[in-house]
Amino acid sequence: MELFVIPLIFALVAAFAPKNVVRYVGLLGAVASLVVTIVHAISFAPEATVSLVDPNYITSFGLTFKMGYDGMGLLMVILTNVMVTIILLANLNQKIANERSFNAMVLLMQFGLIGVFTAMDGIMFYIFWELTLIPIFLISWWYGAPERKQVLVKFFIYTFVGSLAMLLSLMALGTYATDFSHASLVAVTLSAKAAFWVMGGFFLAFAIKIPLFPFHTWQPSTYTVSPMAGTMLLSGLMLKMALFGMIRWMLPLAPEAKSEMTCLVITLGLIGIVYAAIIAIKQSDIKRVFAFASISHVGLIAAGIMLFTKDSLTASFIQIINHSLVAVGLFLAAGILENRLNTREFSQMGGVAKLAPKFAFWFAVIGFASVSVPFTSGFIGEFLLLKGLYGYNWIVGLVAGTTLVFGAVYTLRAYQLSMYGSPKIEGFKDLTWNEMLAFFIISVIIVVLGVYPQVVIDFVGPSLDNLFNSMQASNTLVP
Amino acid sequence: MAVDQLIVMILALPLLGALINGTIGKNLPKQIVGSIATIVMFAAFGLALMVFNSNHEEKIIHLFSIINLDSLTLNARFQVDSLSIWMTLIVTGVGSLIHLFSMGYMSHDKGYYKFFTYLNLFIFAMLILVLGSNYFMLFFGWEGVGICSYLLIGFHYSDEQKGMLNGLAARKAFIMNRIGDLGLLIALFLILMQFGTLEYREVADKLLVENMMPTTWMMFGITLCLFIGATGKSAQIPLFTWLPDAMAGPTPVSALIHAATMVTAGIFLVVRSNFMFETPGAQATQDIMLYVGLATSLAAAFMAMRQNDIKKVLAYSTVSQLGLLFVALGMGAYTAAMFHVTTHAFFKALLFLGSGSVIHAMSDEQDIRKMGGLKKYIPITHMTFLIGTLAIAGFPLLSGFYSKDEILAHAVMHSPVIYGILMVSVAMTAIYMFRLYFLTFHGSFRGSEEAKHHLHESPKSMTIPLLVLAVLSVIGGALNLPGVILSKGAHWMSHFLEHNTRGLELIETHHLSNSQAMLLMGGAVLMTLIILFGTFVVYVKKNSVAKADEELKGWELLSNKKLYFDEIYNALFVVPVEWISVKSHQFIEMFILNKSITGFTGLIGKSGDVVRKWQTGVVSSYILWMVVGIIGLVVYYLIKF
Repeated sequence: MELFVIPLIFALVAAFAPKNVVRYVGLLGAVASLVVTIVHAISFAPEATVSLVDPNYITSFGLTFKMGYDGMGLLMVILTNVMVTIILLANLNQKIANERSFNAMVLLMQFGLIGVFTAMDGIMFYIFWELTLIPIFLISWWYGAPERKQVLVKFFIYTFVGSLAMLLSLMALGTYATDFSHASLVAVTLSAKAAFWVMGGFFLAFAIKIPLFPFHTWQPSTYTVSPMAGTMLLSGLMLKMALFGMIRWMLPLAPEAKSEMTCLVITLGLIGIVYAAIIAIKQSDIKRVFAFASISHVGLIAAGIMLFTKDSLTASFIQIINHSLVAVGLFLAAGILENRLNTREFSQMGGVAKLAPKFAFWFAVIGFASVSVPFTSGFIGEFLLLKGLYGYNWIVGLVAGTTLVFGAVYTLRAYQLSMYGSPKIEGFKDLTWNEMLAFFIISVIIVVLGVYPQVVIDFVGPSLDNLFNSMQASNTLVP
Repeated sequence: MAVDQLIVMILALPLLGALINGTIGKNLPKQIVGSIATIVMFAAFGLALMVFNSNHEEKIIHLFSIINLDSLTLNARFQVDSLSIWMTLIVTGVGSLIHLFSMGYMSHDKGYYKFFTYLNLFIFAMLILVLGSNYFMLFFGWEGVGICSYLLIGFHYSDEQKGMLNGLAARKAFIMNRIGDLGLLIALFLILMQFGTLEYREVADKLLVENMMPTTWMMFGITLCLFIGATGKSAQIPLFTWLPDAMAGPTPVSALIHAATMVTAGIFLVVRSNFMFETPGAQATQDIMLYVGLATSLAAAFMAMRQNDIKKVLAYSTVSQLGLLFVALGMGAYTAAMFHVTTHAFFKALLFLGSGSVIHAMSDEQDIRKMGGLKKYIPITHMTFLIGTLAIAGFPLLSGFYSKDEILAHAVMHSPVIYGILMVSVAMTAIYMFRLYFLTFHGSFRGSEEAKHHLHESPKSMTIPLLVLAVLSVIGGALNLPGVILSKGAHWMSHFLEHNTRGLELIETHHLSNSQAMLLMGGAVLMTLIILFGTFVVYVKKNSVAKADEELKGWELLSNKKLYFDEIYNALFVVPVEWISVKSHQFIEMFILNKSITGFTGLIGKSGDVVRKWQTGVVSSYILWMVVGIIGLVVYYLIKF
């Protein structure tokens, strides 16, 4: 219980705390939540499934309130807590951190995310899923760039419609099951046609959130107009809900439609990888470069998930973590440039490396992590994902592999245009301690996972076995 | 100490140096920073020598498993055998000397500590590459040296005029390498699919001991993809254009990374995988390798003929020599290739460091048209540069003479036509090298008075490495003397490598009969002497000077403009991709997708307007709607049951 309660309590406290300490209340809340999660993780055996809420009561329409976690759920909860801590830490010196509502909303978001990752009941999953939309929308609405309103309305409606499709799918599936608990929903065997529509509904919701080509158009503009913290939350955590949802909900619930959907999703993923990467090459706005880069990277993860083997799912988890870290790091760098220079245009940057060597160093580390060089988690994740895709179909593997080349093109271009050359600006304040610490934590995790990814593998492996077993028990096809 | 600890220490030392300099180097005096970096290198070299002396059999050192999945295990594991220890000796040995040289060369640079951090880091990555026991470790190191190369090419990124250009050169190198890396990655996937492992030893055993017979296509695919990887790192057509641009980096970097070590990684890869290249399916790859190498060797030698930047001449020369090495590999002459890799490391490092010493003396001028007559100002540099030039040109009894001759001997046995073409390339090498030497060191000084005033010999830390490398360039040939010179104990290095490198012992090496060998050597010597005399006449007696860029015509222009490779690539790849990028953003992204979504969300907004009108606030109308709803439900259930 304390996993959910702590962020919620701190959200309330932050809403009424005095303005001069509210930033520390927010950070404290995130850290406290992280500590509790770590305690959970230490006493956790990877093959176990821990129940957090199970009132043993079913409402008339089948809601069971079940919440709990297994290895992969807990991994995502840890990720959430780590990332929220990093995000609040990185924003500590921003004006936004003095706002009560900002801190409260971030913690509320954390609450919602933990709910999404621990939901063991379809309706609970949906409720928490929708809940997360509200704080992120408000953060961007209140603190975003001046041109934000139209963009954000579009974002809200678009993702909301996608979620409705998911709700319809859940409802349809629920009519066949005794209740909405994860186990009952998995146990349902659907006809191929029904499964197609059920999976289709889930897919629409997830494809919009991830986002996959061609459902991605809300993303670059929303990332650009959101404040730094908002972009970090969106790219670092929010889209991971959808990737996790594919693994936990979409594929196990309607595996009968997997063979039909695999080809479609992998194709969309592939198009996204190449299309977004190519567009990123010539963008003149640094946030848009990283936004398109993000589309390209998650396309690869989504394609990997669709293979639905233990290897590919493990690789996807490594890459999910990696992408969270890298995306937050890149948007931190972009945010620092934007806040200090008051522009996002490359044409007005250049020469920052000379003025701010510390920033140049840490930005470079994240940049390299983004192009998946050895000793970074991206190297391992990309290697395993590409291997999986190559095994599926060599052309798919080859096309996905172009991310190696294009990734280097747009990332290095963005870095060099902003940092190299002789300075065009008078001064540039180098990193503050909290920004440096944020970069440092991100980099350490990236390197540790790049050298010893086995920690993640051991953590999610048994829970993936459990997932496959439960699917097998319900007589559905498993790879 | 056992070999295990020695190897771990060899790897740990450069990493340690990088960590120390990277974290606290900024606050240390320059001498200490440079000393730390250089001492760890010499220590690593000493330990490598100990391994070389004590170890005579293949040995595997297992550290830990990086990835351990059901279907796939990837290990951090190292392998000591003749090939890996030989490469380690070259990397740490030449690396030590270049570190020492850099202490003097970089002494005025602000990023001194950064430079040595990167340099040590490079050595660490390179050692992982050569010492790893599987293709995954190789790939690890392979990408690692790529980053270090990127960082060092773009080292002077905040330079007033050239900062952005240096950055561009670094980016080009990284991206071109990445294209090759994609090939290598696919080779890895194919090896995994075929053999289920990436360990060299297990793959070799499956092929050589268990006689596994993969399909011809499979072996062709694997070896071709490996070769594609090699074309990136070892700068072969079509991925060679990054190497000349990489000269934007500081000169010691050009010597270490872009001449002596990193660029030979492709050669190492092929030699390491010899058991795959010798399968029937790989025959076609060998031919491809041979012809690509031949074309590269010829084209690059041609381009070097009319370059006027001292480092660019050497860069094209490196590309050309690497081409020669691939010709050797294409003919299955693995040990001959390794021999030339070794001697090339000596004399090319020497030449680059020598050019660094020249540039240092010339206050950062690199254009040979502004040099001339330098021999009396910088005598040690002149002497050593002359030795390097003679060695690469194949002057009798110097190291390059023997190693080149061995490859040429293989070519004669393979096909006279290939031998003939190679001789053209070899002749051009001698021509452009003597041209470079004479224009730089002979004649009269063509630079400004001020530059003349500054001319000075380099400090000891720079001249000592030059002298050591010069000695090695002279005697390096002794490593693998041909039978015609030495009746007993000939081909020492070939025997050493074949002794315990998987696959190599099975490859039959043919040697020419003594009379044929004599004939071959005689021809080569005669040609070198004629060219030496010819260039002497042109550049010293007649005092010809390289033309200004505008005066170049015909083949000279073609050579100077590198056969327009950059321009062609630009038109073929860069421009179209950028065009697609811009157009797909304008048209697909902003017009089709964005418009349709905006329309869709707008529609939903509009539908809100319609529905809102139903909330009339009149209770009776709500009741009416409610009744309609109830009736509807009742009717629905009546029909359903």
